[in-house]
Amino acid sequence: MKHHRIRVSEFGWGEGAFSSSLKRRLLHPKCFAIRLLPQREGWSAARLGGLMQRFLSGLRDGVGFDILLISIAMLFLIAMAGLPLVYNVLMSFQQVDMFTLGSFIRPFAGIQNYIDVVRQPEFWLVTRNTAVFVFFSMAGQFVLGFALALFFAQKFPGAATIRGLFLVSWVMPGLVVGAIWSWILAGDFGVLNAILKSLGIIQSNIFWKSDPSVSIWAVIIANIWLGLAFNMLLLSVGLAGISRDLYEAAELDGANAFQRFWTITLPMMRSTIGAVLSLGLIGTLQQFDLFPAITEGGPANTSTVAQYWSWQMSFQLYDFAKGATISVMMLVLVLFASIIYVRSTRHEVRG
Amino acid sequence: MTRPYVPWLLLAVALALAAVYLFPLYWMYITSLKSGSEIFANPPTFWPREADPSVYGAVWSRRTMSTFLWNSTLIAAGVTAITVIFGTGCAYVLARYRNVWVDVGLFAILMLQVLPASVMVTPLFVAFNQFGLLNYPRTAVVLAAAAKAMPFFVVLVRATFMTVPRELEEAALVDGNSRMGAFFSIVLPLARNGILVCAILTFMSSFGEYIYSKSIIQDPSLQPASVGLSGFLGPNSTDWNSIMAYSAIYVTPILAVFVLLQRRIVSGLTSGALK
Repeated sequence: MKHHRIRVSEFGWGEGAFSSSLKRRLLHPKCFAIRLLPQREGWSAARLGGLMQRFLSGLRDGVGFDILLISIAMLFLIAMAGLPLVYNVLMSFQQVDMFTLGSFIRPFAGIQNYIDVVRQPEFWLVTRNTAVFVFFSMAGQFVLGFALALFFAQKFPGAATIRGLFLVSWVMPGLVVGAIWSWILAGDFGVLNAILKSLGIIQSNIFWKSDPSVSIWAVIIANIWLGLAFNMLLLSVGLAGISRDLYEAAELDGANAFQRFWTITLPMMRSTIGAVLSLGLIGTLQQFDLFPAITEGGPANTSTVAQYWSWQMSFQLYDFAKGATISVMMLVLVLFASIIYVRSTRHEVRG
Repeated sequence: MTRPYVPWLLLAVALALAAVYLFPLYWMYITSLKSGSEIFANPPTFWPREADPSVYGAVWSRRTMSTFLWNSTLIAAGVTAITVIFGTGCAYVLARYRNVWVDVGLFAILMLQVLPASVMVTPLFVAFNQFGLLNYPRTAVVLAAAAKAMPFFVVLVRATFMTVPRELEEAALVDGNSRMGAFFSIVLPLARNGILVCAILTFMSSFGEYIYSKSIIQDPSLQPASVGLSGFLGPNSTDWNSIMAYSAIYVTPILAVFVLLQRRIVSGLTSGALK
């Protein structure tokens, strides 16, 4: 019984428990001597067995258990995500072609890959497309998602269930979403053109996928549909966190709905909005499946964005060095977004 | 000043919004039931003149969908297994301690969560090629996709572990359980539902995985259904009722699971997604 009591008190969760108990064990001179240095008997089999047993019981019952749990996952993630990331940066400075693809040591290329990528004739077109795609996808997802979140925050029967139905887009495979939108947006027989014409908005068919001036919009429309629901869900959570008292007080003071939105809802949602916008940027830069399904980047690269261009370089032109270079350039953008994301959710993460 | 009709008016508007939003799904099912000539009718018909489900059988056998779906299931199961086994313990430790190392770990995981697959696929492909893993393409895809899925899983499951009271675990320790015993007999059963929902989400998202499979798996008999769909999809496709039937077969199981578990999925996401 006494043994247990000691262990539980030693076990203490909370601030610094992990590092301090580890430190205590490793640094305490007596403990170090007793546990690790055999003093008289030497390294007998029994002693080794005892050490082994202590090690195993630590895995089962001490800090070792936690270290074991976390290190398996961390080693896996380092091997499958951390190292490839470093390797990607390395490859962007190397000469990688079909001959050196399999070898571990490749000629160093300096920043030649970066110069080559910027000199590609389609570089500025792709940059512009990426900016257009990211900005309008995010704007559409956010504005429509916010409007829907505000609407579903009203009290009416079935609000939560119907709102949940919207999330169906989020669980569908991206390629299926792309296939459906590719058919809806088809030029001659697509249903969107038919609806727009019957409403009198357009006079003649828009060739969404084959007209160079609108092809990027075909993917943007599909992407807004895809990401809208997730934005709405996150914003709904933020809205639900605002105390009703604030609104009642404002109403008593005579604030109208617009003033309440502007002076209460928006300021109270600031960290949620920061998180949603940065997640939107990340999600938009991650969006890949819609491109092969709808336009394949065409016609003439007018709907190619950075992530699809990088993939085309590597897997259609087999120019892995350029593919790696483009993705490193994109990575800078993603890191920028994720720093905003981490900053805006930091206190919630720890809570 | 209560107006009793307002909630019902809002309900009607909500249903209309949902109908507009879900129209693409409706259009997928309706198109798949139309005949080859009816899909090109002008103006389009919003209800098939004569529903003809025979295209389903034709697509299933002509496109070898059983092989594709089996591969999708295998890959998704592998990804889910790795993610759940490795990710659960990691999430537990990150939920239980509060110190600078946990902050570093969380930061690293949030960073990994944001890496686009299109960035990771080039170095992974080259490295897999060098280590000979491309000879086992499905395994390679499972490893790559599990690393992609794990950060999100860890963040969500960590939120679940936060809701398990420490006192219960400490009580088990006082009663003579080891840490391992307390973890398996107290903490895991209490967090089971949350873990299950996250595992299902992981399964559903890796069931639709495309970019790694497309880049890594060359042999058609090992490819998943997403790559199979891309095989007859492109800017110039015309075979729309087959494509929609293929999509419908592919997506209906996911939709069914989603509708059944909708409430749990939404609450699981809202508890963890923002964090």
